[in-house]
Amino acid sequence: MEALNALLHGFGIALQPMNLLWGFIGVTLGTFVGVLPGVGPALTVAMLLPLTVKLDPTGALIMFAGIYYGAMFGGSTTTILLNTPGESASIATALEGNKMAKAGRAGPALATSAIGSFVAGTIATVLLTLVAPIVVDLALKFGPAEYFALMVFAFITVAAVLGSSTVRGLTSLFLGLFLGLIGIDSQTGQQRFAFGVPELLDGVDVVVLAVGLFAVGEALYVAAYQSRVTETLEKLKGSLLMSAEDWKRSWPAWLRATAIGFPFGTIPAGGSEIPTFLSYATEKKLSKHPEEFGKGAIEGVAGPEAANNAAATGVLVPLLTLGIPTSATAAILLGAFQNYGLQPGPLLFDAQKDLVWGLIASLYVGNIILLILNLPLIGMWVKVLQIPKDLLYAGILVFATLGAYSLHQSWVDLLTLYVFGLLGFMMRRWDIPVGPAVIGLILGPLAETQFRRALSISQGDPSVFISHPISATLLAITALLIIAPWLIRRFRSTSS
Amino acid sequence: MPRSGAEIALSLGVVALGIGVAAVTATLPSEGGYAGIGPNFIPAVVALGIIALGVWLAIEAFAGGWRDMPEHTDRFEPMPFVWVSAGLFAHMALIGWAGFIIAGTVLFACVARGFGSRRMVRDLAIALVMSVAIYLFFVKLLNVNLPAGWLEPVLGGAGI
Repeated sequence: MEALNALLHGFGIALQPMNLLWGFIGVTLGTFVGVLPGVGPALTVAMLLPLTVKLDPTGALIMFAGIYYGAMFGGSTTTILLNTPGESASIATALEGNKMAKAGRAGPALATSAIGSFVAGTIATVLLTLVAPIVVDLALKFGPAEYFALMVFAFITVAAVLGSSTVRGLTSLFLGLFLGLIGIDSQTGQQRFAFGVPELLDGVDVVVLAVGLFAVGEALYVAAYQSRVTETLEKLKGSLLMSAEDWKRSWPAWLRATAIGFPFGTIPAGGSEIPTFLSYATEKKLSKHPEEFGKGAIEGVAGPEAANNAAATGVLVPLLTLGIPTSATAAILLGAFQNYGLQPGPLLFDAQKDLVWGLIASLYVGNIILLILNLPLIGMWVKVLQIPKDLLYAGILVFATLGAYSLHQSWVDLLTLYVFGLLGFMMRRWDIPVGPAVIGLILGPLAETQFRRALSISQGDPSVFISHPISATLLAITALLIIAPWLIRRFRSTSS
Repeated sequence: MPRSGAEIALSLGVVALGIGVAAVTATLPSEGGYAGIGPNFIPAVVALGIIALGVWLAIEAFAGGWRDMPEHTDRFEPMPFVWVSAGLFAHMALIGWAGFIIAGTVLFACVARGFGSRRMVRDLAIALVMSVAIYLFFVKLLNVNLPAGWLEPVLGGAGI
């Protein structure tokens, strides 16, 4: 009941004309940039962050939530028509969606994706509304030791468990942790790794790192290796409407996918990648038409797309209630909060009621706007896809450099951006994931603060991390996650 | 084997980074009040972590290459890479005195050239229109300051 009152209050804020306008601008820009091939949600959010610097925090974060959702919707259009999944979470959609488009069924594929995203996004937002206050109550009991353990858990799942290689994931994470150390130590005011350069004293900005890795790195990579490759854009022919049969096959997939996606989003499991694949596998197993999978089965689009959006909303639960980002995109969103001096967490729900509930209410509104933007206006987004590669990357880099430059109006940030671009190029070439670096940069300093705070309270006694039950449990699970796969492999090789 | 050579070099690069971090950490103070650890503790942990990971990568690289690497068959083409880099450096040098619009236009044209465009005039025209639009959007609508540079008299004359 309390949550309902808070939500109604939130709607009062989200529906104010200016906030509605910022939300609308956010979803439109998010969809536009998200549609661009090669631009995933993380880059979309990072590139559009500079747009909000002069807004009030509530308006800015409402716009930001719109950008985040819009990027998700926009990305699926690209995947279906162009078969270049901008992010790992779209791979499952690409399997069936692009096949449907090739078979002249692009319309229903886009429709089930958009409506499914709307249904999943809305249900997930309801779940967020209900779950967030419960987690906040729980989080209020957390002390520094518990927070630190939770952050270590998030580090390890994101870096070591996901991805193709533990050592490369951890290398990326530690790179991010190192970059997070640059600047002034928040506890003592000590300068670290800044070498007196004023631009570095503020620390490495998450926008510069994310845009450098994702935009500059990607541009350098595509230029060097794939500048001559051309992709085929599938035409949007025929009706956008789904047949009765399409509806009958899509509905259950949307609902099942929401049930899979939301919980996965809330735990530190790297965002949308696992739930989209799980949803795809589930639909394939339950389908009455398993023979269609691989040739364009509508459930194979409906499920993963819905799961993707449900997970994207689920990610907001730990982000808003605990201040812990579980995906690269969430890490950048956390950076946006920090720009306003706001630290997401249980206290934010108390101190900034208007902002938090206005933001949650705007998610409901954003979903409706997105459904309207993506169905009747789909023709407009298809035009965006026709931008040739040379102009596309040129435009992306003009915008990417603008974001870095506007931080301090200094060329030093542009040099840093290029260095991160080279790093991103090498990481892409040698299969080192970039997500853990972005999460390490944002979460590392927070983890250090909690670590030192916990030790201050215990007067320097390190046993505090294992004498608190919640902290001990989390650290034990983390240790198990690292050791178990190694033990299993070891056991298998000795028994065979 | 050139591929494995690059992996060895990268692994050793990671080790070198770790040693660098460790060297700087050694200059940081260690007093930390009640916590008993100072601002040098976490940097030391990170430095050791980076060195250990670099060694791990190097062992994999020497013992037959990094594990679970995807196929990579595309050939590296230096010229597009150089064009994109040159555009970014020109932009870096120009933005402070020539201004956002000129720097952005040059960057756009260089990147388009890197991606194989041969229509310089078209690229410059599109770049100019786009840069002016972004400039106006940021300066007029969002109140974000961007350098006008050489175009200051023109923009100022137009009341911008």
